[in-house]
Amino acid sequence: MAETRIESTKRRFMIRHRGRGAQVFIYLGKLLRMFIYQSDWKVLPMAALIAGLVGMVVRRKFFINMEGTVMGAFAMVCVCIWNGCFNSIQVICRERDVIKREHRSGMHISSYITAHMLYQALLCLLQVGVTLAVTRQVGVKYPVEGQVTHWFIVEFGISMFLITYASDMMSLWISTLAHTTTTAMTIMPFVLIFQLVFSGGMLTLPKWSEPLTYLTISNPGLKVIAAQSDVNNQPYATIADLVKKMKNDKIDVTVTVGQIMDMLEAKDNKTVGMIRSQVLLPTMTVGRLKEALDSSATVAAHRDDPITDNLTLGNVLDMVEASGLWEQNKDEVITENTTIGDLVDLVAQNPDLKKHRDKVIDMPATVGDLLNLIGEDKVMQFLEEKAAAANYKMDYEYTPDNVASYWMTLVLFIFVFAALSTITLEFIDKDKR
Amino acid sequence: MIIVEILLTVFLSASSILTMAFSVLYLIGLWKLFEKSGIKGKWALVPFAREYQLARCAGRENEGPVFSLTQVGLTCLDIIALLINQTPERAATVGTGDMIIAILTMSLGLVHSIYCIRIWLGMINVYGVKKRWIILCLTNYTRFIPALIWGFGKKYQPEWKIDDINAELARLATQGSATVMDEGLTVNLTERSATEFFRKKVLLRDIHMAIPQGHMVLLLGGSGAGKTTYVNAINGYEPAKAQVMLNGTNLYKHYKKMQYEVGFVPQSEMMRGKDTVLNTLLDAAKLRLPMEVTAKQRRKRVDEVMEIFGLTPVKNNLVEKLSGGQKKRLSISMEFISNPSLFILDEPDSGLDGVMARELFEQLRKIADTGKIVIVITHTPDRVIDLFDDVIVLAKDSARTGRLAYYGSIEDAREFFQREKMEQIVKSVNRKEEGGDGLADDFIMKYAEVSQHG
Repeated sequence: MAETRIESTKRRFMIRHRGRGAQVFIYLGKLLRMFIYQSDWKVLPMAALIAGLVGMVVRRKFFINMEGTVMGAFAMVCVCIWNGCFNSIQVICRERDVIKREHRSGMHISSYITAHMLYQALLCLLQVGVTLAVTRQVGVKYPVEGQVTHWFIVEFGISMFLITYASDMMSLWISTLAHTTTTAMTIMPFVLIFQLVFSGGMLTLPKWSEPLTYLTISNPGLKVIAAQSDVNNQPYATIADLVKKMKNDKIDVTVTVGQIMDMLEAKDNKTVGMIRSQVLLPTMTVGRLKEALDSSATVAAHRDDPITDNLTLGNVLDMVEASGLWEQNKDEVITENTTIGDLVDLVAQNPDLKKHRDKVIDMPATVGDLLNLIGEDKVMQFLEEKAAAANYKMDYEYTPDNVASYWMTLVLFIFVFAALSTITLEFIDKDKR
Repeated sequence: MIIVEILLTVFLSASSILTMAFSVLYLIGLWKLFEKSGIKGKWALVPFAREYQLARCAGRENEGPVFSLTQVGLTCLDIIALLINQTPERAATVGTGDMIIAILTMSLGLVHSIYCIRIWLGMINVYGVKKRWIILCLTNYTRFIPALIWGFGKKYQPEWKIDDINAELARLATQGSATVMDEGLTVNLTERSATEFFRKKVLLRDIHMAIPQGHMVLLLGGSGAGKTTYVNAINGYEPAKAQVMLNGTNLYKHYKKMQYEVGFVPQSEMMRGKDTVLNTLLDAAKLRLPMEVTAKQRRKRVDEVMEIFGLTPVKNNLVEKLSGGQKKRLSISMEFISNPSLFILDEPDSGLDGVMARELFEQLRKIADTGKIVIVITHTPDRVIDLFDDVIVLAKDSARTGRLAYYGSIEDAREFFQREKMEQIVKSVNRKEEGGDGLADDFIMKYAEVSQHG
């Protein structure tokens, strides 16, 4: 009897139990069953609801102008982080006792975490699908052309998936650290605030806090969505919109004669130089003067006006004509080319005018009048382009390399958090009984 | 110069002549306080350890590690700040480092302050003085006052002192060993200890026994006597300084291979409520049964176990919908699936009424009758005592270490303790402050004597 039992024990030494790989599938199966029974499916309608709300807010300007796209990108990052965090924040801590028991019974923590990674990846994928479908439904107009796949929606979906999944893994780690669901839910708001504040996109951060942005998922998340949306090449509409809103606002323009003269005397200024070079009076010969007088309707109308008692303007002109004076001197130059600049200089040197330099000239006008003066469309286009150029960011450059580097950062986050979760959970046996 | 500043920060937590003087006075007072509490005064001179020792004096040993570690953190931050701001120009500007140090110091300082309040409130209780003393205990500038007054004042005496554990351990030392059996469980446990904040705590000591196959054994002991620690030690989950032989094989040496030879059923159910009974058992089977077992064989084994424990009618129910008794049986089934030789159950009857508990123990008896060893921890043994063969009584000695007060048959136990009921036996070995008779040391020594000399 004794020998049989010893033999039986020894025989067991030859037996192999399921290793890490096989255990992954045991737990994956369990988690998939739980999806139905444990209300995990509720994260899908929740994702749809959040996507709908956010989509309705951002749809008008997302992908249309720079500010709208940055705001939309930030909103999408928030949606992803929110979804990811809520997927897994309680999954480990709520069954900590069960894990402890199963670990004792031979469960490998790495298998358990890998099963969770696979399951959560599936969940995140479904959530991203739901989010994209709902946002399209509520009117967000996604661009068509992508950079790598030629389908923008696919690339955008990959980014959203990676942000959601990285957040999910971060929450999974928190769930391994926290021993109760209450503790996990207390930690989560702090993590969310940290993620959103230090995303580096919406708030202007002080210089010292910049390194902290590298610790957030939201930072590469926001950058990748902004880069994919080609935000740098979109118009910056805020200033132009403001100007449009002010079209009917009145401006009381008051300038002095001196200011106008000084402005017109600034020869170095390119625009003023152009105005100054405009010819006011072209070169005039006697022959040209005669032609002008002959063709002038005003002169014709005043030919019979008397100059003296028995002499009219017509008599004088005829007498000059008869004397041959016109013909003899027809090539004689009366005046050289006179430009606006010449006139301005002449006037500026006038001592009488100098006395009036301080005289104020009032010009009541509206912003609209000024816009019309220059051309409204030109002004708006100029403002949008220049403001966009001023807000250009290297981080948001629309290049495959840029997008790939952000994706890689997010993938790194995923694996770091998964590794941390495994390491933390390996200490589960140290829990106080 | 900077080295001197760092040393002053570490040893005195002081940066000026005034705070240095206060710190020296505080340490003198602390030296005397430690001596009054039965700790060597020189601990007052050891940075960071003195915080832990102070917590011990205040009866707040659990808070000591955090109190001490936060002091370590604050000192490190002080040193970093000193190193960063070495030059006057650098000290005049506020850089990134200063900002981070300020935030960390504030956060850590807050935690340290809370623990400081807790520990000094403990000291106030120990010295039986009025709570208003706490005001003086809170700042580095005034803390030396209570330390000197309580330390040197003759009318201030602590209500209790820290016991000399080592002397107690030496006084109550016993010897012995159990002969290894080819068939059954042999335990020769010399010591099971845990190190907590550099201090070794002996949880169990000198437990030797040999349990034959087919025996159902009752494990008795008061709260904190080390029952769970003991079963964790014998099943290899938390190894002790021991030799545990199961059917002639060393369990510790071959733990991975023999893992499923031991089934441990925890006190609470610890199962996923949202899974079905059948799936729970199938997953348990996948985990516990060898890879060579086919899906068909696995299913057959699951069906067998469900039949044995009466779970077949509820196999498709969610675990959370089961009754308390059914949950217990399911929890046991999960371990039973691998057909272990040693079966350990931690309070399987908790939450069950008398009838259901009886049915459960009868099932366990049947399992024992198949040639397995079944060890059961229960707090209500008398209603099912007829089902047990042996009893193990663990007790906490005056050094607060779990010891073996008895192992043997039920009848012999009644004679040994001179008590009829098992609950009376537990009461006899429990400490007086726990409502017991405080006879643990006597029975431990008596059992050691009996087991050595027959």
